[in-house]
Amino acid sequence: MNTDDLIAALAADTLPQPGIAQRLVRSVPVALAVCVAAFVAFWGVRADLGAALASLAVLKMILPVLLAGLAGAVAIALAHPGVMAGRRWALLAVFAGMLVAAFVFQLQRGGLSGLVEAVAIPSLWVCLTSVPALGLPFLAAILWSLSTGAVLRPRLAGAVAGLAAGGASAAIYAFYCDQDAALFVLPAYGAAILSVALAGAICGPRVLRW
Amino acid sequence: MRAANGGDTAAYRQLLQAITPVLRRVVQARGGGLGQDSCEDVLQDVLLAIHTKRHTWRQDAPLRPWLYAIARHKVVDAFRARGRRVELAIDDFADALAAPQGPDPLAGRDMEKLLGALDPRAADIVRGFGLRGETTAETAARLGMTEGAVRVALHRALQTLARLRERMIE
Repeated sequence: MNTDDLIAALAADTLPQPGIAQRLVRSVPVALAVCVAAFVAFWGVRADLGAALASLAVLKMILPVLLAGLAGAVAIALAHPGVMAGRRWALLAVFAGMLVAAFVFQLQRGGLSGLVEAVAIPSLWVCLTSVPALGLPFLAAILWSLSTGAVLRPRLAGAVAGLAAGGASAAIYAFYCDQDAALFVLPAYGAAILSVALAGAICGPRVLRW
Repeated sequence: MRAANGGDTAAYRQLLQAITPVLRRVVQARGGGLGQDSCEDVLQDVLLAIHTKRHTWRQDAPLRPWLYAIARHKVVDAFRARGRRVELAIDDFADALAAPQGPDPLAGRDMEKLLGALDPRAADIVRGFGLRGETTAETAARLGMTEGAVRVALHRALQTLARLRERMIE
């Protein structure tokens, strides 16, 4: 088949491809449903949720959701060649920088011993395993959606997708977790979310090739 | 491209025909040592990618950066894969032997192989549009399908082709 024939065949195909947004709309609710069902079955809501939502602990849900939104926006830009992602990257970087700054501030107040004391509790391992487990459905949904796009840097896009998925699952996990000390939440949630990003970076080149 | 994404076949065809010579030069410039038909294979890879990824171009963005990004990705990919095969060495000899040009300088070799891998009907539909320039209605009448079914079959066949080429590159 020569190139002119191929062009004729391509031009005859007028069916639109499903876009990334379309796929996200279809897959993320499914991931959310799976995640919430698993959460209700195996984790369950913390006893003092009402009081927690009225306190600063509500940030444990809000900040990860923000992270998921910002990282998701970057991931979508990365799947559209020619779209400048500069501003989205900047927002994500500023947000991450603020979290790191908050952690450093808390660390200075509590000291290294305070950090060890806050982190060395059994909840740490629950957090480090729960967030990635709850994040897998989201990661699958986002990677599946991105795979219809044209990702030029699959490892990076996979990592950012993992960041978004980890943010979403951390927000859900926060309904269970009753550890509200900033010196625990920032490092533990951060490490858990980053591990999902790592999983995304590993899967990216495989899933997002085209 | 805007018209093409809106379903204007003629405009889309014109666009593809207009960018093909440019893309061909890009491919040939990069793939100096490869034979002409290998370059044509890569060019067809690029065209298929432009087709299957055309929805990732934003209507309000300039087209050229998008086109180059897609083409560059495919060209790099394709040459990385083909460099691994023995074709390069053969082409060196081909230069020395000054082999006569093939019957059709625009023909790629890979596409025929892949069309053979499709199911016969899908390959027939692609050939019908490509080689014989059929319209949807003609194909539908010939195969006893509805026009909608022909459109879907063509769409699926092209998707499959793109996927098969990907696998070939791996």
